[in-house]
Amino acid sequence: MPTEAAPKEPALAAQTERIMGTFSRGGYEQIATPVIQPAGPFLDSVGEALRARTHVFVDRDGQELCLRPDLTIPTCRLHLARHPGGNRLAHYCYHGLAFRYQAGAAMPTHPTESHQAGIESFAVSDREKEDAAILALTLAALHATGLKQIQLTIGDLGLFAALLHAIPMPVRWRRRLWHHFWRRDSFRRVLMRLTSSEALKAHELPRDLVGRLDPANPKAAEAIVIEYLERSGLGIYGTRTIPEMTERLLAAAADAREAPLDLAAAALIDSLTLVRTPAPQAVRRVCDLLRPHKINIEPALVSFRRRLDLLDRLGVDTGEAEFSAVFGRSLEYYTGFVFQAVSPKLGTTNPIASGGRYDGLLTDLGAPHPVPAIGSCIHTERLHAALHGDGP
Amino acid sequence: MSAKLVLALPSKGRLKEDCANMLAEAGLAITKSGSARGYKGTIAHLPEVEVNFVSSSEIAQFLKNGAAHLGVTGEDLLREAVADCEERLILRAPCRFGYADVVVAVPAWWTDVQRMADLEELAMTFRRRHGRRVRVATKYMNLTQRFFAQHGVSGYRTVESLGATEGAPAAQLAELVVDITTTGATLRANDLRVLNDGVILRSQAHIVSSNAARWSNHLRAIERELLDALARAKHPTPKSQPRPGLTRH
Repeated sequence: MPTEAAPKEPALAAQTERIMGTFSRGGYEQIATPVIQPAGPFLDSVGEALRARTHVFVDRDGQELCLRPDLTIPTCRLHLARHPGGNRLAHYCYHGLAFRYQAGAAMPTHPTESHQAGIESFAVSDREKEDAAILALTLAALHATGLKQIQLTIGDLGLFAALLHAIPMPVRWRRRLWHHFWRRDSFRRVLMRLTSSEALKAHELPRDLVGRLDPANPKAAEAIVIEYLERSGLGIYGTRTIPEMTERLLAAAADAREAPLDLAAAALIDSLTLVRTPAPQAVRRVCDLLRPHKINIEPALVSFRRRLDLLDRLGVDTGEAEFSAVFGRSLEYYTGFVFQAVSPKLGTTNPIASGGRYDGLLTDLGAPHPVPAIGSCIHTERLHAALHGDGP
Repeated sequence: MSAKLVLALPSKGRLKEDCANMLAEAGLAITKSGSARGYKGTIAHLPEVEVNFVSSSEIAQFLKNGAAHLGVTGEDLLREAVADCEERLILRAPCRFGYADVVVAVPAWWTDVQRMADLEELAMTFRRRHGRRVRVATKYMNLTQRFFAQHGVSGYRTVESLGATEGAPAAQLAELVVDITTTGATLRANDLRVLNDGVILRSQAHIVSSNAARWSNHLRAIERELLDALARAKHPTPKSQPRPGLTRH
């Protein structure tokens, strides 16, 4: 690969300079993070599936390390190292290598290493305004390199969260649906389970225990669980505790008595996941879906509309953008606004830039309280290919 | 050097004996050759076969990169070491020994966890309570990841364990295990219980052919001869012990 990449490099450097210049003028501090990172924070926030596409290895001390698969988590870690609370206002930009393990041989479209130029913003409390600013700056950087044709897709996981909150159901069901949201098939499976009173009865759990637990009386439940375990002679050991297990058994007991989720509500949830429409029509489409159900998610829709207005004011043409309600489902740490820029030349499988809001990630990485955070990154080799037409 | 058919066999333990017996019953007894340490062997009836004795975990690697044409090793080790098993290897025939089930097992007192789906529910509450993901101790990192993904279980971390995996939950190194078992006795002795749908793989030793090795028509003919001899020796039903099944409580 180096020999093939060599002739491109001057052009790539000039392109990078334009991108980073745009970020710096936007008030972003340029930082560098280590290429080798502890694997733990990535595995904790992304999950074990990460191993299949990341170079994870063990050093001589037995520490699990990885070649950074992206630069967002390293930037978060740098921010937390500087400000352990995480809640200090900060704007960072970077340009560096990210690594992907490619099963079999690496291909030009799927390189093992490629550059990312990105920005990350922390602790800005006006979320919609910052969402718009980040997208506008990302597009400005792309324009600065001469890229003209950009197809934009946007999504907002906040709409989905709002819908789950607006539909009457126990809190634990909301948690369960949100937890499974990132995997389409298991999400559907869980959703269907909630609509079936038979499935809610969890027949595989011991009747003689679950049947005796009263969801309204958790204190008594713990005693019943302890007595059941003593009678069955099972030794209690490990890190899990009896209160933890009681909580889950109580949830099962409550589920067995709960009226199942209304089929119409389940259908509504499912239909929202399917919405794809030009961005200006998104709010109307969502309202059309909600109206027959008399469900109101006005605050989330107001935020969505306000963000579009702010984008228009920043000169971003959202009229051509596509809205997809579940866009952003691919990465478990996104929590709100998400976007992706595609060049018609390279197609949706090779987006040139992508980004989103991840308000929960800093707490996962050790911040004591949630910190508003959003970022984006440009895949510089792809951008170069889109500009110079020599294939990705 | 005239090309020989390299047959990789386990270098020690029960599997080594089972392999020697299987070949002997097919009239293909192995004679140790080379140095006194005996890492090479020959088969009188098939002089163009070179037997290499290697550790059973390495046999998967030999087959994967083509250093051996044929080998005998456990399906569990193959599927763990070779992600694209179907493309790189051909599982020619099961050997009817080396039985081992790869299973998901949890502390027996976890009354609320009977199926894989319960595990994902547990992962969710565990993370909320402990601020970290529930840990799975295993030496089968790849099998675990694939099986858990198939069942929509994602909220966990794997902890690599190269021995005495069954002790990891009690030692608080992990909350549950993916481990091998033949009768379930070791798991039971450690107060572990296999989930109702927690059998990842019912494994046994297999004769395996490598797609990465250099094959000629001549070597294929020798392979055919060897496989045919084994098939003839093997009666339709196993005469030794029946397939031990998992007993569950």
